[in-house]
Amino acid sequence: MLGKCFFLICVISVAASVFTGNVSALSDAVLEGAARGVELVLTMAGMMCLWGGIMEVFRTAGALEKLSRLLSPILKRIFPKAFSTGVGKEEIIATVSANMLGISSAATPFALKAMEKLDEVNDIPHTASDDMVTLAVLGCSSISLFPTTVIALRHAAGSAAPYSVVVPIWICSLICTASVLLLCSLTRRKNRGQL
Amino acid sequence: MIGLISSLVIPAVLLSAGMLMFRRGEYFNAFVKGAMDGLKCTAELVPTMVILISALYMFTKGGAAELLTRLFTPLCESLRLPAEIVPLAVTRPVSGSAATATFASLLEVCGADSYPAITAAIMMGSSDTLVYVIAVYFSKTRVKSTVRVFAIAAIGSLLCLFLSSVLARVFFLGDCI
Repeated sequence: MLGKCFFLICVISVAASVFTGNVSALSDAVLEGAARGVELVLTMAGMMCLWGGIMEVFRTAGALEKLSRLLSPILKRIFPKAFSTGVGKEEIIATVSANMLGISSAATPFALKAMEKLDEVNDIPHTASDDMVTLAVLGCSSISLFPTTVIALRHAAGSAAPYSVVVPIWICSLICTASVLLLCSLTRRKNRGQL
Repeated sequence: MIGLISSLVIPAVLLSAGMLMFRRGEYFNAFVKGAMDGLKCTAELVPTMVILISALYMFTKGGAAELLTRLFTPLCESLRLPAEIVPLAVTRPVSGSAATATFASLLEVCGADSYPAITAAIMMGSSDTLVYVIAVYFSKTRVKSTVRVFAIAAIGSLLCLFLSSVLARVFFLGDCI
Protein backbone atom coordinates (compact mmCIF):
# COMPACT_ATOMS: atom_id res chain seq x y z
CA MET A 1 0.00 0.00 0.00
CA LEU A 2 2.73 2.45 0.97
CA GLY A 3 4.75 1.61 -2.14
CA LYS A 4 1.77 2.46 -4.30
CA CYS A 5 1.16 5.68 -2.36
CA PHE A 6 4.79 6.70 -2.82
CA PHE A 7 4.71 5.97 -6.55
CA LEU A 8 1.47 7.88 -7.00
CA ILE A 9 2.75 10.93 -5.13
CA CYS A 10 5.95 10.88 -7.21
CA VAL A 11 4.08 10.65 -10.52
CA ILE A 12 1.72 13.48 -9.63
CA SER A 13 4.58 15.62 -8.31
CA VAL A 14 6.67 15.20 -11.44
CA ALA A 15 3.74 15.77 -13.75
CA ALA A 16 2.65 18.88 -11.85
CA SER A 17 6.16 20.30 -11.73
CA VAL A 18 6.50 19.90 -15.50
CA PHE A 19 3.16 21.65 -15.86
CA THR A 20 4.15 24.57 -13.65
CA GLY A 21 7.75 24.68 -14.95
CA ASN A 22 9.16 23.90 -11.53
CA VAL A 23 11.19 20.74 -12.24
CA SER A 24 14.42 22.14 -10.81
CA ALA A 25 12.82 22.45 -7.38
CA LEU A 26 12.19 18.69 -7.15
CA SER A 27 15.71 17.44 -6.38
CA ASP A 28 16.19 20.06 -3.68
CA ALA A 29 12.82 19.15 -2.24
CA VAL A 30 13.80 15.48 -1.92
CA LEU A 31 17.00 16.32 -0.05
CA GLU A 32 15.19 18.68 2.25
CA GLY A 33 12.32 16.26 2.80
CA ALA A 34 14.56 13.35 3.78
CA ALA A 35 16.34 15.48 6.37
CA ARG A 36 13.06 16.87 7.64
CA GLY A 37 11.60 13.37 7.97
CA VAL A 38 14.29 12.35 10.46
CA GLU A 39 14.11 15.69 12.23
CA LEU A 40 10.38 15.35 12.65
CA VAL A 41 10.59 11.90 14.17
CA LEU A 42 13.32 13.14 16.52
CA THR A 43 11.19 16.02 17.76
CA MET A 44 8.30 13.61 18.25
CA ALA A 45 10.42 11.03 20.08
CA GLY A 46 10.42 12.67 23.52
CA MET A 47 6.66 13.08 23.53
CA MET A 48 6.00 9.54 22.30
CA CYS A 49 8.42 8.20 24.90
CA LEU A 50 6.79 10.09 27.80
CA TRP A 51 3.23 9.22 26.85
CA GLY A 52 4.07 5.63 26.03
CA GLY A 53 5.41 5.32 29.56
CA ILE A 54 2.43 7.04 31.20
CA MET A 55 -0.05 4.88 29.33
CA GLU A 56 1.88 1.79 30.44
CA VAL A 57 1.62 2.94 34.07
CA PHE A 58 -2.16 3.17 33.75
CA ARG A 59 -2.29 -0.19 32.04
CA THR A 60 -0.35 -1.89 34.85
CA ALA A 61 -2.62 -0.18 37.35
CA GLY A 62 -5.54 -1.99 35.69
CA ALA A 63 -7.00 0.79 33.55
CA LEU A 64 -8.00 -1.68 30.86
CA GLU A 65 -10.06 -3.76 33.31
CA LYS A 66 -11.68 -0.71 34.86
CA LEU A 67 -12.56 0.74 31.49
CA SER A 68 -13.95 -2.64 30.41
CA ARG A 69 -16.24 -2.74 33.43
CA LEU A 70 -17.35 0.81 32.73
CA LEU A 71 -18.04 0.08 29.08
CA SER A 72 -19.83 -3.22 29.31
CA PRO A 73 -23.31 -1.81 30.10
CA ILE A 74 -23.03 0.48 27.06
CA LEU A 75 -21.67 -2.25 24.81
CA LYS A 76 -24.50 -4.53 25.89
CA ARG A 77 -26.91 -2.30 23.99
CA ILE A 78 -24.65 -2.01 20.96
CA PHE A 79 -23.99 -5.74 20.60
CA PRO A 80 -27.29 -7.32 21.63
CA LYS A 81 -26.67 -10.72 20.10
CA ALA A 82 -23.12 -11.26 21.31
CA PHE A 83 -24.14 -10.26 24.84
CA SER A 84 -27.25 -12.41 24.98
CA THR A 85 -25.41 -15.52 23.75
CA GLY A 86 -22.13 -14.62 25.43
CA VAL A 87 -20.14 -15.61 22.32
CA GLY A 88 -17.29 -13.16 21.75
CA LYS A 89 -18.47 -10.86 24.55
CA GLU A 90 -15.17 -10.71 26.43
CA GLU A 91 -13.18 -10.08 23.26
CA ILE A 92 -15.50 -7.30 22.12
CA ILE A 93 -15.13 -5.49 25.44
CA ALA A 94 -11.36 -5.92 25.34
CA THR A 95 -11.13 -4.64 21.76
CA VAL A 96 -13.11 -1.49 22.40
CA SER A 97 -11.31 -0.70 25.67
CA ALA A 98 -7.86 -1.20 24.15
CA ASN A 99 -8.81 0.98 21.18
CA MET A 100 -9.95 3.75 23.51
CA LEU A 101 -6.68 3.67 25.40
CA GLY A 102 -4.84 3.84 22.10
CA ILE A 103 -3.16 0.45 22.45
CA SER A 104 -3.74 -0.78 18.93
CA SER A 105 -1.13 -3.53 19.37
CA ALA A 106 -3.44 -5.06 21.98
CA ALA A 107 -6.70 -4.19 20.24
CA THR A 108 -5.94 -5.98 16.98
CA PRO A 109 -5.46 -9.52 18.37
CA PHE A 110 -8.61 -9.10 20.52
CA ALA A 111 -10.52 -7.90 17.47
CA LEU A 112 -9.36 -10.84 15.37
CA LYS A 113 -10.46 -13.30 18.04
CA ALA A 114 -13.80 -11.54 18.48
CA MET A 115 -14.44 -11.59 14.73
CA GLU A 116 -13.56 -15.28 14.51
CA LYS A 117 -16.01 -16.13 17.28
CA LEU A 118 -18.74 -13.97 15.77
CA ASP A 119 -18.10 -15.63 12.42
CA GLU A 120 -18.71 -19.06 13.94
CA VAL A 121 -22.21 -18.11 15.05
CA ASN A 122 -22.94 -16.16 11.87
CA ASP A 123 -25.95 -17.78 10.20
CA ILE A 124 -25.33 -16.24 6.76
CA PRO A 125 -21.62 -17.04 6.41
CA HIS A 126 -20.66 -14.84 3.48
CA THR A 127 -22.14 -11.56 4.64
CA ALA A 128 -21.09 -9.94 7.87
CA SER A 129 -23.50 -10.30 10.80
CA ASP A 130 -24.81 -7.20 12.58
CA ASP A 131 -22.40 -7.54 15.47
CA MET A 132 -19.47 -8.00 13.09
CA VAL A 133 -20.40 -4.85 11.18
CA THR A 134 -20.75 -2.90 14.40
CA LEU A 135 -17.38 -4.05 15.73
CA ALA A 136 -15.56 -3.22 12.50
CA VAL A 137 -17.23 0.19 12.28
CA LEU A 138 -16.32 0.88 15.92
CA GLY A 139 -12.74 -0.07 15.10
CA CYS A 140 -12.69 2.50 12.30
CA SER A 141 -14.09 5.42 14.26
CA SER A 142 -12.30 4.47 17.47
CA ILE A 143 -12.60 7.06 20.19
CA SER A 144 -9.09 7.59 21.43
CA LEU A 145 -8.80 9.15 24.86
CA PHE A 146 -5.34 10.41 24.19
CA PRO A 147 -4.20 11.19 20.61
CA THR A 148 -0.43 11.04 21.23
CA THR A 149 0.80 11.27 17.64
CA VAL A 150 -1.35 14.27 16.77
CA ILE A 151 -0.15 16.18 19.82
CA ALA A 152 3.48 15.19 19.27
CA LEU A 153 3.34 16.39 15.66
CA ARG A 154 1.64 19.64 16.63
CA HIS A 155 4.36 20.21 19.19
CA ALA A 156 7.05 19.41 16.59
CA ALA A 157 5.52 21.97 14.22
CA GLY A 158 5.75 24.69 16.85
CA SER A 159 2.14 24.99 17.98
CA ALA A 160 1.51 27.46 20.81
CA ALA A 161 -0.83 25.00 22.55
CA PRO A 162 -0.36 21.45 21.19
CA TYR A 163 -2.90 20.00 23.64
CA SER A 164 -5.72 22.37 22.80
CA VAL A 165 -7.21 19.97 20.25
CA VAL A 166 -7.86 17.21 22.79
CA VAL A 167 -11.38 18.26 23.78
CA PRO A 168 -12.54 18.97 20.19
CA ILE A 169 -11.18 15.53 19.23
CA TRP A 170 -13.27 13.92 21.98
CA ILE A 171 -16.38 15.75 20.86
CA CYS A 172 -15.78 14.90 17.23
CA SER A 173 -15.15 11.21 17.82
CA LEU A 174 -18.09 10.95 20.19
CA ILE A 175 -20.53 12.42 17.67
CA CYS A 176 -19.07 10.43 14.76
CA THR A 177 -19.13 7.17 16.69
CA ALA A 178 -22.70 7.75 17.83
CA SER A 179 -23.82 8.44 14.26
CA VAL A 180 -22.14 5.39 12.74
CA LEU A 181 -23.61 3.23 15.47
CA LEU A 182 -27.02 4.65 14.65
CA LEU A 183 -26.41 3.79 10.98
CA CYS A 184 -25.44 0.27 12.01
CA SER A 185 -28.65 -0.27 13.92
CA LEU A 186 -30.73 1.28 11.13
CA THR A 187 -29.28 -1.14 8.59
CA ARG A 188 -29.70 -4.24 10.71
CA ARG A 189 -30.53 -7.43 8.83
CA LYS A 190 -33.81 -7.83 10.67
CA ASN A 191 -35.06 -4.44 9.47
CA ARG A 192 -33.97 -5.13 5.94
CA GLY A 193 -35.76 -8.48 6.02
CA GLN A 194 -39.02 -6.74 6.80
CA LEU A 195 -38.65 -4.22 3.99
CA MET B 1 -13.79 27.32 29.27
CA ILE B 2 -12.86 24.65 26.75
CA GLY B 3 -9.35 26.05 26.68
CA LEU B 4 -9.15 25.74 30.45
CA ILE B 5 -10.36 22.13 30.41
CA SER B 6 -7.92 21.29 27.63
CA SER B 7 -5.02 22.75 29.54
CA LEU B 8 -6.04 20.96 32.75
CA VAL B 9 -6.33 17.51 31.17
CA ILE B 10 -2.60 16.97 30.81
CA PRO B 11 -1.51 18.03 34.30
CA ALA B 12 -4.31 15.92 35.75
CA VAL B 13 -3.20 12.85 33.80
CA LEU B 14 0.44 13.40 34.76
CA LEU B 15 -0.49 13.96 38.39
CA SER B 16 -2.48 10.75 38.63
CA ALA B 17 0.31 8.80 36.94
CA GLY B 18 2.75 10.36 39.39
CA MET B 19 0.53 9.39 42.30
CA LEU B 20 0.48 5.78 41.12
CA MET B 21 4.26 5.78 40.82
CA PHE B 22 4.60 7.34 44.26
CA ARG B 23 2.53 4.60 45.85
CA ARG B 24 4.25 1.63 44.28
CA GLY B 25 7.74 1.32 42.86
CA GLU B 26 6.77 -1.24 40.24
CA TYR B 27 4.76 1.41 38.41
CA PHE B 28 7.95 3.23 37.64
CA ASN B 29 9.30 0.09 36.00
CA ALA B 30 6.12 0.00 33.98
CA PHE B 31 6.78 3.59 32.94
CA VAL B 32 10.29 2.72 31.79
CA LYS B 33 9.01 -0.25 29.80
CA GLY B 34 6.24 1.75 28.15
CA ALA B 35 8.55 4.65 27.37
CA MET B 36 11.00 2.24 25.75
CA ASP B 37 8.18 0.80 23.64
CA GLY B 38 7.11 4.30 22.64
CA LEU B 39 10.67 5.10 21.63
CA LYS B 40 10.99 1.90 19.59
CA CYS B 41 7.68 2.61 17.92
CA THR B 42 8.90 6.09 16.98
CA ALA B 43 12.22 4.77 15.71
CA GLU B 44 10.35 2.33 13.46
CA LEU B 45 8.58 5.31 11.95
CA VAL B 46 11.83 6.77 10.57
CA PRO B 47 12.14 4.89 7.25
CA THR B 48 8.50 5.40 6.23
CA MET B 49 8.52 9.00 7.35
CA VAL B 50 11.70 9.72 5.40
CA ILE B 51 10.41 8.27 2.15
CA LEU B 52 6.95 9.81 2.49
CA ILE B 53 8.08 13.24 3.62
CA SER B 54 10.56 13.34 0.73
CA ALA B 55 7.75 12.51 -1.67
CA LEU B 56 5.47 15.07 -0.05
CA TYR B 57 8.15 17.74 -0.26
CA MET B 58 8.33 17.04 -3.98
CA PHE B 59 4.57 17.26 -4.03
CA THR B 60 4.54 20.65 -2.34
CA LYS B 61 7.63 22.29 -3.82
CA GLY B 62 6.94 21.03 -7.35
CA GLY B 63 3.58 22.81 -7.32
CA ALA B 64 1.33 19.73 -7.25
CA ALA B 65 -0.15 20.59 -3.85
CA GLU B 66 -1.00 24.08 -5.03
CA LEU B 67 -2.63 22.77 -8.20
CA LEU B 68 -4.65 20.27 -6.23
CA THR B 69 -5.69 22.89 -3.71
CA ARG B 70 -6.70 25.29 -6.47
CA LEU B 71 -8.65 22.52 -8.18
CA PHE B 72 -10.63 21.76 -5.06
CA THR B 73 -11.04 25.29 -3.74
CA PRO B 74 -14.48 25.93 -5.32
CA LEU B 75 -15.88 22.64 -4.02
CA CYS B 76 -14.32 23.07 -0.59
CA GLU B 77 -15.43 26.66 -0.29
CA SER B 78 -19.02 25.76 -0.92
CA LEU B 79 -18.74 23.11 1.81
CA ARG B 80 -16.83 25.53 4.06
CA LEU B 81 -13.84 23.20 4.24
CA PRO B 82 -10.24 24.38 4.01
CA ALA B 83 -8.97 23.21 0.59
CA GLU B 84 -5.54 22.40 2.06
CA ILE B 85 -7.05 19.38 3.78
CA VAL B 86 -7.80 17.49 0.55
CA PRO B 87 -4.54 15.44 0.43
CA LEU B 88 -5.04 14.39 4.06
CA ALA B 89 -8.69 13.53 3.54
CA VAL B 90 -7.60 11.24 0.70
CA THR B 91 -4.76 9.49 2.55
CA ARG B 92 -6.41 9.19 5.98
CA PRO B 93 -8.64 6.19 5.20
CA VAL B 94 -5.99 4.40 3.14
CA SER B 95 -2.70 4.43 5.02
CA GLY B 96 -1.84 5.40 8.59
CA SER B 97 1.77 6.38 8.00
CA ALA B 98 0.99 8.23 4.77
CA ALA B 99 -1.64 10.21 6.70
CA THR B 100 0.85 10.97 9.47
CA ALA B 101 3.35 12.28 6.93
CA THR B 102 0.69 14.28 5.07
CA PHE B 103 -0.49 15.76 8.35
CA ALA B 104 3.08 16.71 9.28
CA SER B 105 3.69 18.47 5.98
CA LEU B 106 0.34 20.26 6.21
CA LEU B 107 1.30 21.58 9.65
CA GLU B 108 4.54 22.86 8.20
CA VAL B 109 3.05 24.50 5.13
CA CYS B 110 0.05 26.16 6.82
CA GLY B 111 1.41 26.68 10.34
CA ALA B 112 0.51 24.48 13.32
CA ASP B 113 -2.24 26.75 14.64
CA SER B 114 -3.87 27.72 11.35
CA TYR B 115 -7.46 26.81 10.52
CA PRO B 116 -6.55 24.00 8.06
CA ALA B 117 -4.04 22.57 10.55
CA ILE B 118 -6.53 22.51 13.43
CA THR B 119 -9.16 20.91 11.23
CA ALA B 120 -6.57 18.33 10.19
CA ALA B 121 -5.56 17.67 13.80
CA ILE B 122 -9.14 17.04 14.91
CA MET B 123 -9.72 14.77 11.93
CA MET B 124 -6.48 12.85 12.52
CA GLY B 125 -7.37 12.28 16.15
CA SER B 126 -10.92 11.13 15.64
CA SER B 127 -10.75 8.87 12.59
CA ASP B 128 -8.80 5.78 11.67
CA THR B 129 -7.32 3.97 8.69
CA LEU B 130 -10.60 2.35 7.73
CA VAL B 131 -9.39 0.32 4.75
CA TYR B 132 -6.70 -1.29 6.89
CA VAL B 133 -8.94 -1.83 9.91
CA ILE B 134 -11.68 -3.49 7.88
CA ALA B 135 -9.22 -5.65 5.93
CA VAL B 136 -7.57 -6.86 9.14
CA TYR B 137 -10.79 -7.38 11.10
CA PHE B 138 -12.33 -9.56 8.41
CA SER B 139 -9.11 -11.36 7.45
CA LYS B 140 -9.86 -14.50 9.46
CA THR B 141 -13.58 -14.75 8.79
CA ARG B 142 -15.59 -16.33 5.99
CA VAL B 143 -17.21 -13.01 5.13
CA LYS B 144 -16.88 -12.08 1.46
CA SER B 145 -18.93 -8.90 1.13
CA THR B 146 -17.96 -5.96 3.29
CA VAL B 147 -19.92 -3.35 1.32
CA ARG B 148 -22.15 -2.44 4.24
CA VAL B 149 -19.21 -1.96 6.61
CA PHE B 150 -17.31 0.15 4.08
CA ALA B 151 -20.35 2.28 3.34
CA ILE B 152 -21.04 3.03 7.00
CA ALA B 153 -17.37 3.65 7.80
CA ALA B 154 -16.99 5.94 4.78
CA ILE B 155 -20.03 7.99 5.79
CA GLY B 156 -18.49 8.15 9.26
CA SER B 157 -15.21 9.55 8.00
CA LEU B 158 -16.92 12.11 5.76
CA LEU B 159 -18.95 13.23 8.75
CA CYS B 160 -15.74 13.40 10.74
CA LEU B 161 -14.17 15.65 8.10
CA PHE B 162 -17.06 18.13 8.18
CA LEU B 163 -17.39 18.07 11.91
CA SER B 164 -13.65 18.70 12.29
CA SER B 165 -13.86 21.88 10.27
CA VAL B 166 -16.95 23.01 12.17
CA LEU B 167 -15.30 22.35 15.54
CA ALA B 168 -12.12 24.09 14.39
CA ARG B 169 -14.18 27.15 13.51
CA VAL B 170 -16.19 27.09 16.73
CA PHE B 171 -13.27 26.52 19.11
CA PHE B 172 -10.44 28.36 17.43
CA LEU B 173 -11.93 31.10 15.31
CA GLY B 174 -14.77 31.97 17.66
CA ASP B 175 -17.13 31.51 14.74
CA CYS B 176 -20.70 30.48 15.52
CA ILE B 177 -21.19 27.84 12.78
